[in-house]
Amino acid sequence: MNRSLDDVRCIADRAAHAVPADAAEAIVLSRYSALTRFAGNRIHQNVAESDAQVSIRAVLGSRTGVASTNKLDDASILRCANAAADAARHAPQDADFPGLPHPKQLSIPSRAPLLLDAYGPQERAEAAREILDQSAARGLVAAGTVAVNDTITAVASTHGVDAAMHTDDIRATVLSMNGPSASGWASYFGRDARGFLPAQLGSHAATIAERSEGAVELAPGTYTVVLAPEAVADLLDFLGYLGFGAKAFAEGSSFLIDALGSRVVDPRISIYDDALSPATVGISFDYEGQPRRRTPLIEGGIAVGPVTDSYFAALLDRDNTGHALPAPNPYGPLPLNLEMAAGDTSVEDMIASVDRGVYVTRFHYVNVEDPMKVVLTGMTRDGTFMIENGRLAAPVRNLRFTQGVLSAFSSVGAIGSQRQLCGAEESAVLAPALLLEQWAFTGQTG
Amino acid sequence: MKEHIAAALDAATLAGATYADARVVETRHERLSVRTGHVEGVESGESLGIGIRTIANGAWGFAATSDLTPDGIAHAARQAVALARAAAITASAPVSLAPVASFIDTWSAACATDPFTVSLDDKLALLLLTDDILRAEDKVRVTSASMGFIAVRKVFGSTEGSLIEQSYVESQAGIAAFAIGDGEMLPRSYPNNLGGQAVQGGWEAILALDLPGNAPRVAEQAAALLSAAPCPSGETTIIIDGSQVALQVHESIGHPTELDRVLGDEAAFAGTSWVGIPDLGTLRYGSEHVTVTSDATIPGSIGSFGYDDEGVPGQRDHLITNGILTGFQTSRESAPEIGRTSNGCMRADGWQRQPLIRMTTVSLEPGEWGFDDLIADTDDGIYIETNNSWSIDDKRLNFQFGCEIGWEIKGGKLGRMIKSPNYTGVTPQFWGSCDAVCSRDHWQVWGIPNCGKGEPMQVAHVAHGAAPTRFRNVQVGVAR
Repeated sequence: MNRSLDDVRCIADRAAHAVPADAAEAIVLSRYSALTRFAGNRIHQNVAESDAQVSIRAVLGSRTGVASTNKLDDASILRCANAAADAARHAPQDADFPGLPHPKQLSIPSRAPLLLDAYGPQERAEAAREILDQSAARGLVAAGTVAVNDTITAVASTHGVDAAMHTDDIRATVLSMNGPSASGWASYFGRDARGFLPAQLGSHAATIAERSEGAVELAPGTYTVVLAPEAVADLLDFLGYLGFGAKAFAEGSSFLIDALGSRVVDPRISIYDDALSPATVGISFDYEGQPRRRTPLIEGGIAVGPVTDSYFAALLDRDNTGHALPAPNPYGPLPLNLEMAAGDTSVEDMIASVDRGVYVTRFHYVNVEDPMKVVLTGMTRDGTFMIENGRLAAPVRNLRFTQGVLSAFSSVGAIGSQRQLCGAEESAVLAPALLLEQWAFTGQTG
Repeated sequence: MKEHIAAALDAATLAGATYADARVVETRHERLSVRTGHVEGVESGESLGIGIRTIANGAWGFAATSDLTPDGIAHAARQAVALARAAAITASAPVSLAPVASFIDTWSAACATDPFTVSLDDKLALLLLTDDILRAEDKVRVTSASMGFIAVRKVFGSTEGSLIEQSYVESQAGIAAFAIGDGEMLPRSYPNNLGGQAVQGGWEAILALDLPGNAPRVAEQAAALLSAAPCPSGETTIIIDGSQVALQVHESIGHPTELDRVLGDEAAFAGTSWVGIPDLGTLRYGSEHVTVTSDATIPGSIGSFGYDDEGVPGQRDHLITNGILTGFQTSRESAPEIGRTSNGCMRADGWQRQPLIRMTTVSLEPGEWGFDDLIADTDDGIYIETNNSWSIDDKRLNFQFGCEIGWEIKGGKLGRMIKSPNYTGVTPQFWGSCDAVCSRDHWQVWGIPNCGKGEPMQVAHVAHGAAPTRFRNVQVGVAR
């Protein structure tokens, strides 16, 4: 279904050395993915895709240009290499360009590959049926996905970079709907097939959906909240995008400016980027073939620093943390494997400790109100409940929040002891549940 | 390309498909960006592949591959049939499609000057000149100027006999200045945020934007925002510029009138809709000033095409007529649910993806007001321009938008500048409060090339015609 690691590595090497330039780098992504999608208690989309793409960066002095193609015959790769060199010839010199990085020792985690045959069309359909049967049996309606991804990433350069790695994962989601305004949610993301239990997933979502019937209004205001891991993951994702990248830091738009070494959130909060964690799914090198490592971003509430790539490491005179995205891109280096350190409190104990508050299963359509203060707005969905006297109480109609993440993370009541891998392969987040004392709800679904 | 289509349809039929269609899509793109005096990227690329959609055992299957050898295509076709058969284990009723005539046709969009023939030197010179002008303003710390081009050629064929070849070129450009100070970053962009304006057309469209001519105003306004007044909090009258009305239409009318959302097919990801099929013809969606069309035939719009990705001709249809819901955006599978045939809204994000219902050019039809007259007619309120943030719930009811800039309206005149205005509302009440839409003189089509939907995620290029529009009693200044 996918190419072999050696094939992909050879394509990258061949492409890097085909460029008529001073130096060159090639990234090859070869991917097989398949997704079974269901809604209305039946599978309505069942898709699979195979593709491979090579992206070539040519360097002439300090000029760079990039070209890409998914045609992998020799003539097409040569044409792509020439296009990259031509782009470099037209680009002006960039005095800040440090040159392509040289190879470094890589640590490739040993991960047994998933048996993709075990997740073929029939098996995914069976898993989907197990999930949606849980809703159908209770008179509910399920929607969601069962998906597998199999990716080989290779980076090669004329400086001797030669990095290649295979990654794969399973992702399943289920939304269970109980009439027009009550729903529940559950998801699995990871590469441990033993952890993907379709019937259990479907049952969990259906139970929340049943519990969500008869949602009540809640007046806007500031509440204590217990955020489930998927809701926390959304906040970490935006924190990474807005604040932890070296480009935002260099341009002066990151909250880390003037805050390095200072306390920015509760001292119990520590946030890292760690592609080597056994719990995550990412590649252990970046798109320049440089090693990723466990990188502290906030440690004990103290701002540590941004993630970098070779360009911004040189520009800022900092270490290269190995977080390059494929060049060129508008974002600069970003953390793609964020995690928040676990605490010591179960979700049940968090709820038990709250006299009056709100439990949030997940957020929907979060966006930025103020990038420097990391103020976000978004909605709750698929299981929002009042907490009263230490117990989940009435379901609440979906709420809008407008809230600064840093200020919320400065009012931590407790951090969950269990973490869940959330998101997708391109940006996986390992998040615990959080009890936050101050959270501003500013509106409600009409 | 046509031989690939024939091979795919034959292989799918032999594998047992009762219906199949196939699309070969070849795209070429080029992107250039300049940021704060540095050329950030000069990049080009190409992609070619085939997507094969089948019905077998009454269910859908879809497979896509970039391997266009005979074996590669046959394998993908058989895979699509196997996927359909697997999906059938949960089917309660077989898929049926609304009838459509078969077409053998070609369609192409106008493009006066092919942007791929313009030299990289000329393109970079325009961006660098514009960026220089933006950076002349001291308080502007970060600047951005970018342009991008896409050329698409695709062939669609089906077992019902259609064979349709289409081609078009899209061009996009925009600039932005960011003023940073006192812990805030304030953007000002032109002609819109997120990369500017996108159209079907060529280099002539880029030149028509006059990026260098607009750069001084953009930079000056960005700098002025640092000392502008904060957005007041409370209920007031707002007048929204055309680009923001376009996004308001997109989020609170375009998406909720996609029939697949209404039927629940997008529930787990993008969400459903507050509108139901029984509402058709009776639901008051907005005031009498609100008439909204879906139109795939507007020249120059990135929402235009000759045929959608299941071979249905592009067409114009009414979604809302004088405030009443009168239509949905549909597909061949969904249209029978409302007793109609497809109005041609199925599109896929390249060869890799199965088509979904996507917006074409969904427009708020123009009214009769002149802009100056509308301001003069407003005693107290805020005029707001250019989106900066958007969020809406999973039923497309509760929304909140942030914008780059605003001005107080006092006694029928624009007053002092307001920084980062935002507003929130609930869809039917908001559109019900619309009491004036500016005329066709102020109406234009805005391209939105970043509309996300579906799993795997698909990004569609859609558009919206809009003019400045007035709304009463709107909550502004949330958490300001």
